[in-house]
Amino acid sequence: MTTSTVPVDLAAARMEQGIKTYGSGGAEVRALDSINVAFEKGQFTALMGPSGSGKSTLLHCIAGLDTLTSGRVFVGATELNTLSDKDLTLLRRKKVGFVFQAFNLIPTLTARENILLPLLIAGDDHDTAWFDQVVGILGLGDRLTHRPSELSGGQQQRVAAARALVARPEIIFADEPSGNLDSKSAAELLGFLRRAVREFGQTIVMVTHDPVAASYADHVVFLEDGHTVGELNDPTADSVIDRMKQFGG
Amino acid sequence: MIRTALKTIFAHKLRLALTAMSVVLGVGFIAGTFIFTDTIDNTFGDLFEDVFAGQDVIVQGETEFDVGFAGPPPMPAEVLDIVEAVPGVEAAEGSVGGFAVIYDNDGEAIVPTGPPTLGGSWSDDDRLAGNVELREGRRSVGPNEVVIDAATADGNSLALGNVVQIQTPTGVNEYEIVGIVGFGESDNLAGATFAAFDLETAQALFDLEGQLSTIVVLAEDGVSPDLLRSNIAQALPEGVEAVTAADEAEAQSEALSDSLGFLRTALLVFALVAVFVATFIIQNTFRIIVRQRQRELALMRAVGATPSQVVWMVVIEAVMVGVFASIIGILFGFVVASGLTGAMSAAGFDLPSSTAPLAIRTIVIGLTVGIVVTVLSALLPAIRASKIPPVAALQDTEVTLRMSDRRRTLVGVVGLVFGGALMAAGLFVASFQIGPINELLAIGIGSLFVFLSVSLLSSLIVKPVARFLGWPLPKLDHLTGTLATENTVRKPRRTATTASALMIGLALVAFFFILGDSIKASAGSAIEEGLRADYVVSVDGFSGGFSPSLGEHLAEEPEISDVTFLRFGFWDREGSDEFLMAVDTETIDETIFLDVQTGSVAALTDGGVLVFDTIADEEGWILGDTVAMGLAATGLQQVEIVGTFAESNVVQANFLVGEKFYSENFSGFGTDLDFVLAVKAADGVAPDAARAVVENAAAEYANVTVRDQVEYRQSQEDQVNTILIMFNALLGLAVIIAVFGITNTLALSVFERTREIGLLRAVGMSRRQIRRMVRWEAIIVAIIGSLLGIVVGLVFGVAVTGALSSQGINVLSIPAVQIIGLVLFGAFAGLIAAILPARKASRLNILEAISYE
Ligand SMILES: Nc1ncnc2c1ncn2[C@@H]1O[C@H](COP(=O)(O)OP(=O)(O)OP(=O)(O)O)[C@@H](O)[C@H]1O
Ligand SMILES: [Mg+2]
Repeated sequence: MTTSTVPVDLAAARMEQGIKTYGSGGAEVRALDSINVAFEKGQFTALMGPSGSGKSTLLHCIAGLDTLTSGRVFVGATELNTLSDKDLTLLRRKKVGFVFQAFNLIPTLTARENILLPLLIAGDDHDTAWFDQVVGILGLGDRLTHRPSELSGGQQQRVAAARALVARPEIIFADEPSGNLDSKSAAELLGFLRRAVREFGQTIVMVTHDPVAASYADHVVFLEDGHTVGELNDPTADSVIDRMKQFGG
Repeated sequence: MIRTALKTIFAHKLRLALTAMSVVLGVGFIAGTFIFTDTIDNTFGDLFEDVFAGQDVIVQGETEFDVGFAGPPPMPAEVLDIVEAVPGVEAAEGSVGGFAVIYDNDGEAIVPTGPPTLGGSWSDDDRLAGNVELREGRRSVGPNEVVIDAATADGNSLALGNVVQIQTPTGVNEYEIVGIVGFGESDNLAGATFAAFDLETAQALFDLEGQLSTIVVLAEDGVSPDLLRSNIAQALPEGVEAVTAADEAEAQSEALSDSLGFLRTALLVFALVAVFVATFIIQNTFRIIVRQRQRELALMRAVGATPSQVVWMVVIEAVMVGVFASIIGILFGFVVASGLTGAMSAAGFDLPSSTAPLAIRTIVIGLTVGIVVTVLSALLPAIRASKIPPVAALQDTEVTLRMSDRRRTLVGVVGLVFGGALMAAGLFVASFQIGPINELLAIGIGSLFVFLSVSLLSSLIVKPVARFLGWPLPKLDHLTGTLATENTVRKPRRTATTASALMIGLALVAFFFILGDSIKASAGSAIEEGLRADYVVSVDGFSGGFSPSLGEHLAEEPEISDVTFLRFGFWDREGSDEFLMAVDTETIDETIFLDVQTGSVAALTDGGVLVFDTIADEEGWILGDTVAMGLAATGLQQVEIVGTFAESNVVQANFLVGEKFYSENFSGFGTDLDFVLAVKAADGVAPDAARAVVENAAAEYANVTVRDQVEYRQSQEDQVNTILIMFNALLGLAVIIAVFGITNTLALSVFERTREIGLLRAVGMSRRQIRRMVRWEAIIVAIIGSLLGIVVGLVFGVAVTGALSSQGINVLSIPAVQIIGLVLFGAFAGLIAAILPARKASRLNILEAISYE
């Protein structure tokens, strides 16, 4: 099954005819160029493409952090274009999770509070069993009272992942989450993201430049010049590298 | 390097504006004070020149001591004949002047607050009339006619032909208005009311039969005023002097300037408090700026800039901010000056509304203060900046260049002890003086050290205090409360400095609250003990007094058993103005309890002085010693101490004399008037009936108010309240600067936390929650500032009240409601301060924020 042909009711999030331009006139940049893309529920998708191909832009627009110049975006059944700023905030709080490349955590809060951040913001109670399970899997049990400055880079990214998971969002977006990590920490984090998809049915979309990281995903979607240029199912590092050569990425 | 500095300044307009704001306000206050007092100076300078226009020499009673507004004593009318006989005199004319209150059509006294109510005689010779010009009607002739000034006439719908009541020292009478005068261009004499009679009438009304107050002389053509003056002087009898009109104009204008000197100094002290607060803000701003530019500065060091070049970069930026802000501040001074004029007129002091031109002195002082303060405040952060190691450019970690906690504690404690000791010395050591530092300076410098040390030490307690204050927040407001609390303790020094700026203003407010309340409480209980009379009749505003005929009249009423007058007099006590009260020795025991310690009141009947016992103790005076009193009318007199008293709250003077001494040694404006009457009802007379009698009699003397004991106490409290309001209003600017400081610090902190705020927004925090977070932070900082202020204010209040216990302030009263109100006010100020930064934080673009470096 290819990503662009995911049936509507199976898509955790999708974009139709997405166009995003920056600047105007001669200096206009088309970061997204009539792109159609959908991410299937319960799947781990990797987004790849050369630098400047629009990966981050796609992620931001689909996650409600930025708005398209034209086109439509859905998270689940909700169309984002019509949402107010307030509703977008609620959407990010309840339905979307994030893991960024760096600076994922609030320095004044403990690891525990950082993990619970979306719930704390909402003023919701958390599911203790689920919290314990997430923290247990990530091996953060003895680090919960620490501040981010007392955690290693790998631990910090795992806390960020735990934060994304603990609110059980419909979809998690990760923009180069392992970009700053050594290979061992990266492997731990990626393994954990894959487990979250396999065991808990979480949907994850991850931007990466690393074929090895991409091999943890179920699908890879390739982007170039603001639109999709191909896909790969059940990727391995080698098959991804082959494919990348094909696109000159 | 200048260009780099300029670039960074303009790259951060908001930061520049907020930093400059504190300097603008401080410099504005200073410049405004000068502009305001210059304006008054100028107006009166011009005025006196005009008043003496056309006159050459003035002859008047000689005064050895210029005290208060006593003015020269009168001289015998025969002096005029002597003057007229001097060769070179073209014309000479005598006049008398004194107190005259005009009543309006409703029988209310027309009493300007500040300027006097003048009465006088006419000049028959236009050449000698100065700038007095008849505008309408004619001159007054005989005992039933008067001419009044145009402003009083216009302001009270009084016209030619109207009959008005006028109160003079000899009583209230009716007069027909036959003329209206102006003074050159203006309708009155600097706000004073003026009633003119013919010479004979005036002499009678002012109780000056056969006497003259002044003689004005016109020189013959070709005779210089100086020559004429010395010719006249040679002819004059003892006790009368001649001065040129020009000298007299200058002397009078200078005397007025001197009396303004106090106002200027007082305003400047408040302005300096504002500037002191501003230094905290500027220092904080530069510290944050340097922190934010740490990597940039380290990079400059890495590429070869020397530490001193880094210092220069920061200092140049400070100089530019200082120049820019001072210029705006000086201009803002005009706003402050008109605000001060407005405030004075709201308080009833009528002042001219025109503004003096900007004096070079104002510009120089404004620029100097602005630039020096900004540069000095920036210097410490600049020096710290130069110590940033070049490697910091490569690291993301913060380089901490702060003083260690131990050193901070040491410096803070030493400063606190030193400041406290200096204050204590100023307060408690009698006539303290080390070099140029007198008692007041010691207190001032001491409090400066205390404030600085408390600020330094407060960063050590910011953490626990903020956590304590923030403790209920998470329950109130989940996450935002926690985040806000944590944000305040992230940079304890920053929070402490921001809070300290607010502390200074609020500490002084709290101090004045406590002092004021203690004065009120002390005076209240003292009045209860000290006032035996049932009613107090006192003069309204500054109209000097009222005719003694009221007291004489009351004393005759059967419902009244005793009436005691108090009269006011200035004298010179070893070079400075002191005042005394003349009391009615026969009745005072019945009406006012003086708590006589040694000697007796009765002894005053034959002369001598009664001294407040604290003063006597300080001076080491005992019964039988003499006090050297410099008196305007009779020169230096050695006056015997015939007793000491311990209760001064009703008489409100440290020196009391009897009627005999007073009438022999005092003369001039107001000294023939009663200042206060203490009235006791006869036994068995119902309070209502007695009061009705007093009210009735007083009604004729429209510039007085009758109060019973309770009302009298209230009026004393009201006076204290008025002063409190004035002081607190003047401290307002310092508080406003501190609030700007909170805004500035928060705005810079928000800028610093851009990524964090972006992240919070990305994971679903609403704009509202972001705003709440910033607001809570501001409120915590502001409350820390208020609490520190209250603690310091309490200590100051207790210490000063203690030091003043010998002055009769022997009750320490702490107004809990006001003090608690201050905390609420602080929280509210924090809320206001947070508006701008909260909005800025909530409007951050999320994407820019999370990709922000
Ligand atoms: N705020 C912006 N203003 C102008 N142009 C932008 C902006 N953000 C992105 N672009 C442009 O849009 C295009 C897509 O950028 P985007 O960040 O999505 O690329 P990317 O695929 O994430 O690249 P990388 O792998 O380097 O992160 C680029 O040409 C970029 O220069
Ligand atoms: Mg990117």
